[in-house]
Amino acid sequence: MMINVSNLKKNFDQLTVLESINFSVTKGEVVCLIGPSGSGKTTLLRCLNLLEKPDDGTIQIHQDQLSFSGAPLKTKELIRLRKYTGMVFQGFHLFPHKTVMENIIEAPLIVKKYTKKRLVEQGAQLLKKVGMLDHKDKYPDSLSGGQQQRAAIARALMMEPEVMLFDEPTSALDPQLVREVLKVIESLAKEGQTMIIVTHEMNFARRIADKVLFMDEGFIIEEGSAEQVLDHPNEPRTQAFLQLLDDE
Amino acid sequence: MFDWFYQIQWEYLYNPELAWQSVPLLMEGLKVTMIIALFSMFFALVLGLLIGVARMSKFWLFKLPAKFYISFMRGTPLLVFIFILYYGLPVIGIQFNSPIVAGIVGISLNFAAYNAEVIRSAIMSVPRGQWEAAQSLQMNYPQLMRRIIIPQATRIALPPTFNIFMDIVKGTSLASVITVHELLYSARIVAGRTYESMTMYITAALIYWSVCVVIGFFQQYLERRYNRYLNKQ
Ligand SMILES: Nc1ncnc2c1ncn2[C@@H]1O[C@H](COP(=O)(O)OP(=O)(O)OP(=O)(O)O)[C@@H](O)[C@H]1O
Ligand SMILES: [Mg+2]
Repeated sequence: MMINVSNLKKNFDQLTVLESINFSVTKGEVVCLIGPSGSGKTTLLRCLNLLEKPDDGTIQIHQDQLSFSGAPLKTKELIRLRKYTGMVFQGFHLFPHKTVMENIIEAPLIVKKYTKKRLVEQGAQLLKKVGMLDHKDKYPDSLSGGQQQRAAIARALMMEPEVMLFDEPTSALDPQLVREVLKVIESLAKEGQTMIIVTHEMNFARRIADKVLFMDEGFIIEEGSAEQVLDHPNEPRTQAFLQLLDDE
Repeated sequence: MFDWFYQIQWEYLYNPELAWQSVPLLMEGLKVTMIIALFSMFFALVLGLLIGVARMSKFWLFKLPAKFYISFMRGTPLLVFIFILYYGLPVIGIQFNSPIVAGIVGISLNFAAYNAEVIRSAIMSVPRGQWEAAQSLQMNYPQLMRRIIIPQATRIALPPTFNIFMDIVKGTSLASVITVHELLYSARIVAGRTYESMTMYITAALIYWSVCVVIGFFQQYLERRYNRYLNKQ
């Protein structure tokens, strides 16, 4: 099992965002996470990346496990699981003072202390894969949103994570730029990269997802294949949500 | 009604000859001014960084003293503070061996508070996404500060930091009242001897101004360097 999350809880002060989250992901699986706005999708991904500290439950990733039910964990322990996941944000968050190449080699250079020569070679290959090699010496500010997001995907991949986490990777993009980013994600799926993707692109989810999770009010209400969840949902809340999307 | 205008004695407005003759003395003074300014700026930056970081800390034992320090230093006149150091401390048995040192200490401690505020607000103005992206790439706090946050904060902090530097250069003139032989003091000596106050103080003003113009060029150079990555269209 690549990921196993059980009974995960997260509150912000009085507000309970994740009530009790249970799911698992196998190696190479592509999971799409859907659900209404405010249902806690972003919070769940951030918990998996330990950008948020869960209040209870356990997260197991790649034979390593953290339990949040006992005494509060030290920061060092808390971020231990972080090395297994790579995060792609809605807003890209490339480092503006660094070129594309510098952006993607920065973390392995100073965290893993790999040699620059090796990283530049590896980086060039990766940039080629996401179609950004021509732009390797540009600063993020001079790139389109789609280009920035593809660079951000490469940046996360450079740390060679077991699991890639995508939080609505295309929802900040102009419609004509969405496709180029989705194509990159699909190519990763073909290579067997384990991924969890929060998305509102239902056709994309149909094409790519091995499993779809529908989240609402802090629970995973329904899970199954794309066909089951998106085309023949059992739960009334899933039906209502998909209906609403269709109406738009 | 315009009598006062006709009484102006224009011949005393500026005596270029005297100004020229006093250049060597004024340059001696300028040297001291620049020594005080550069040392003060250096210490004020280092101290300001520490206080600024303490001020941002969530831990009250760091945060509260830093807040108190900033509040006190910003709320008291530099001249009063210099008096406390140079005339007050000896009363309780602490003596500076030179007024220059007292000046540097006073100016550094005072302006450190302003630097702390500039540094704090610059660091806080780096978007949250930058911190989170760096964290998600497994950088620890020192790494993400040094490589991601501080370079971006520096760009934001440059203009206000240079304002502070110019304030420090001008603030060194306060050291003249504790007998530091800096630029203003030198000008005052000549003015007292020759009664050509107008000439001497205008000359001093022009020299302060020139120094600040040079600092301004340096600022422009650095800003251009740090803004390189911004797309100007
Ligand atoms: N740092 C925070 N502090 C307080 N409340 C928060 C915080 N982050 C999220 N929330 C709240 O938690 C709830 C879930 O937010 P979250 O961003 O996880 O939802 P989401 O499913 O990603 O929604 P969307 O589809 O709009 O992105 C929301 O009500 C939000 O206001
Ligand atoms: Mg979200």
